[in-house]
Amino acid sequence: MEKGNKGISIVVTSGKGGVGKTTTSANIGTGLAMQGYSVVVLDADIGLRNLDVVMGLENRIVYDIVDVVNKNCKLKQALIKDKRHEKLFLLPAAQTKDKTAVSTSQMVELVNELKEQYDYIIIDSPAGIEQGFQYSIAGADEAIIVTTPEVSAVRDADRVIGILEANEIYQPKLIINRIRQDMVKRGDMMTIDDILDILAVKLLGIVPDDENVVVSTNRGEPVVMDEKAISGRAYRNIVKRIIGEEVELLNLDEINQGRFSKMMKLFFGR
Amino acid sequence: MSNTGITIKGVSDGIFIYVEGNDYEKIKEALEIKLRENIEFFRGSKLIGIEGEELTLDIKTEIMLLLKYKYDFVLMKDDTLNQIQKKIETFDEHKNVTNIVEEGMTKFVHGTLRSGQEVSYNGNIVVIGDVNPGAVLRAKGNIIVLGLLRGIAHAGLGGNKNAVVAAYSLLPTQLRIDDIIVRPPEGDSHYKYPEIARVIENKVIIEPYLPNK
Repeated sequence: MEKGNKGISIVVTSGKGGVGKTTTSANIGTGLAMQGYSVVVLDADIGLRNLDVVMGLENRIVYDIVDVVNKNCKLKQALIKDKRHEKLFLLPAAQTKDKTAVSTSQMVELVNELKEQYDYIIIDSPAGIEQGFQYSIAGADEAIIVTTPEVSAVRDADRVIGILEANEIYQPKLIINRIRQDMVKRGDMMTIDDILDILAVKLLGIVPDDENVVVSTNRGEPVVMDEKAISGRAYRNIVKRIIGEEVELLNLDEINQGRFSKMMKLFFGR
Repeated sequence: MSNTGITIKGVSDGIFIYVEGNDYEKIKEALEIKLRENIEFFRGSKLIGIEGEELTLDIKTEIMLLLKYKYDFVLMKDDTLNQIQKKIETFDEHKNVTNIVEEGMTKFVHGTLRSGQEVSYNGNIVVIGDVNPGAVLRAKGNIIVLGLLRGIAHAGLGGNKNAVVAAYSLLPTQLRIDDIIVRPPEGDSHYKYPEIARVIENKVIIEPYLPNK
């Protein structure tokens, strides 16, 4: 195998739990594969494994990340090929171990090995800022911060951005998840500008609150594949921005209520 | 010039200085050269003691005053230092107390302080950026934020009620000057103009510092 990494590793993290890290990881991974890139989504949440469930691959797991770092199996054996996309692979977390089963240096080594063979490595980080978080960011080149329009989630995101900077991962990109435009309009929810005012990072995209996400998650089919769902469209735009395309509609400057409701009208006809 | 025999030793809780010779000017010169090599490292250090075979108490005192006021060293109060400490205290009394703040050292923080980050300094703090909620600033002197102050700011730590807190946008979670703690009134108060907080008659008064803007 030749030296010199060709891939990019991106950690998806948030600090707070339940804001949609795993859903985001699954959708970005799937979306990148839909664009023709080779992708590994890596579940770093050892002990609370669920990226496999969201992607509908649970029943195919034989080996997991702990088996790989302990050399119980080859890396290729543990990688699970996605049902629908040839170039998408999942490296599942272990469910019966805990976060101490993997060390930071093992994680860096593993990610570097994956980077030699795949275009994108998406690392789904556990919630919190403890050991599991520390090793999940250790091998990452870039970071995506997921937050929801709640003060607690934004506060945790701010903390995580600070820790990432201390670990020399600069300029993380932000995804604001579960925006409810009706509530924003009424002044009952933080606006995108409120959030960006505090976090002062680049916005990668916004994902509206959408029932389709729940439906697709339960089915194990990432919503990014759903042509009709608005959240699917949001994730496709995010993926396009990751690969460097300019996507106008959800760009920071374009996100204002008028434009957004126009888009809602466009998709829902109301 | 050969080194006049200054040895600086770091021990677990501070530093110890060994001095050779008894010429204050020479010692001072040598000491300053040593300190300047790594001024950031030594600033605010705790001085455990000064030793030297030919040292007189006067020279010792001079060195300590130099370290305390020029390099911001913290002096240990142990038996051998008591006498010197007394001299320093009488020296302090002669100083105009209100001027200490104006003349103190200043730490500059570049960039935004985020939740969980903390800056403490034995002097003034200037932040060139925002201070987000969950971040904490502690200063013996003044705190100036060239941005939004939304975290906790504690100025005048340890008995300095002349200290002030000023920010382009002063919206702290909590504001403390010396031992006075205040919080902003409930409700959204998004001030768009720069403000300064200072203590007047034991109350924290917040007002615009550019009243004509």
